[in-house]
Amino acid sequence: MNVERDRAERLADEELMPLIGAKDPEAFEVFYDRHGGVAYSLAYRIVGEKAAAEDVTQEAFISVWRSGARFDRARGSVRSWMLSIVRNRAIDMLRSRAGKAPKLTFDDDAVLEQRPAEELTDEEAMQHETAQELRGAVGSLPGEQAKVIELAYFGGFSQSEIAAMLGVPLGTVKGRMRLGMEKIRGELAEGLA
Amino acid sequence: MSEINHEHWQEDVAAYMLGALEPARATELEQHLESCERCQAQVRWLMPALNALPQSVERQEPPPGLRTRVLAEVRADAGVASAERGDATAGLLHRLGGWLRSLGSGPMGLRPVAGLAAAVLVVVAVAGYAIGGGIGGGDDGSNGGSTVVTGKPPGVTAKVVMKSEGGGTLHLTNVKQLHDEHVLEAWVQREGEVEPVRALFVPDDKGRATTTIADMEGVEVVMVTTEPRGGSEAPTSSPIVTVPIPQS
Repeated sequence: MNVERDRAERLADEELMPLIGAKDPEAFEVFYDRHGGVAYSLAYRIVGEKAAAEDVTQEAFISVWRSGARFDRARGSVRSWMLSIVRNRAIDMLRSRAGKAPKLTFDDDAVLEQRPAEELTDEEAMQHETAQELRGAVGSLPGEQAKVIELAYFGGFSQSEIAAMLGVPLGTVKGRMRLGMEKIRGELAEGLA
Repeated sequence: MSEINHEHWQEDVAAYMLGALEPARATELEQHLESCERCQAQVRWLMPALNALPQSVERQEPPPGLRTRVLAEVRADAGVASAERGDATAGLLHRLGGWLRSLGSGPMGLRPVAGLAAAVLVVVAVAGYAIGGGIGGGDDGSNGGSTVVTGKPPGVTAKVVMKSEGGGTLHLTNVKQLHDEHVLEAWVQREGEVEPVRALFVPDDKGRATTTIADMEGVEVVMVTTEPRGGSEAPTSSPIVTVPIPQS
C-alpha cells in the first residue's frame, strides 16, 4: 500500500527507506526530491558535464530503488549513503573514460560495509550544517592539502597516482591527506561548539 | 601491537576513507581495522569530514526532465511489481500475443505465427527507420563498452552502451515530444521472446531520452514503444526504434 505524498513528506529519511524497499513510489518521490539536487550536483562536480551527470544520477537512484532497502541506519545517514553511491558511479564513469579498469565496486552493500557503525551523533548534527558552512570547512584547507583531497575524492586517483602527478613523495601525499581531513573535521567541530 | 606499527596504519586511514589506497593496501588496512579500536575510532572521528566533501560542492540545478525520467522508471517498476503480485499468470506469452495481435490488425496484416523476428523487421518498416547497424566504440565517452547505433537522423537515433557489470544504458536522440499521458517504454528480446525492461522514460526538451537496462545478458534486440502513462503489459504500438545487439 502506498503512503500519500503529504504523509511521506513528514517522514524522516530513515523512515522512508523501508517504504522504498516495499516499492512505494510516493516514498521514493519524496526521497528523490530531498536528495536529487545534491546528488546531481555531486555527479556534475565529478564528471564535469551535464549529460553524463544526468546518467550517473539516474543510475544511482534507480539502483537504490531496484536494490530494495539495503540501507542500514546503524551505519550512517541516508544522504551520506546515497552520495556514496553517486560518487562511486561517477568515479567509475571517469575511470572508464580514461580506459582504466573500474576500481570501485557497484555493489551498494559494499558502500555500507565501508561505513563505521554507531556513534552517529556528530554526523547527525552535521546534517543541519548548511552547504555554505560545509564549503567553508572544506575551503579553509591550505591549497596543497585541498589538492590531494580533491584529486582523491573527486578525481578517483590513488595516492600513488597523485604522488606521481604532483611530483612529491608518497609519504607527503599521505601526510597532506591526513592533515587535510583532520583540519576539515576540526572546522566542523568548531561549528558545532 | 607496537606504537610504530600503529602509526604506520593511522597514516593511511585518511587515504583509505578517500578511496585513494591501492586495493591490496586497503584490504590490509581493513583487516587491521577489525582488531584495532584506535584506528576504528579514527575512522569514526573523520567520517563527518568525509561526508562534508560531497555536500560542499556548488549546487547545480538538475534538468527538470531528469526527475521525470527517474520517477517514470520507478512508477513503471512499481506498476509491474503490483501486476505481478495480482496476476501471476499474466506472463510473457500474453504480452507478446497481445502485441502481435495488435500488429496483425494493422496495415501489414502480420499474423502471430510469423514469429517475433519477422515482427521486429516489419515494425521497423512501419516505423520508417532504416537500420544503420553501425557499431561504434563508446563515442559518447560514457563507457568503454560496445555501442550500437540504429536509425538515421532526423529519425530516432539509439545507442545502447554496454556496462561492465552486465547492464546497459539506452540513449535516444531526435525523439518527438510526446502527447500528454504518454511515455516511452523499453523492451528487450531474448531467444526470440520479448520481455519488458520495466523502464518508462520521457524525452527532454531537446528530444533526448535515456533509460537503464539492468541486464543485457543474452539480449538480441532492444526496442522502444510509446505507451500510455504508467506503461503497458504488452507493447500497444509499433516501436519507434529497434536496436539489434551483436552477439559476442
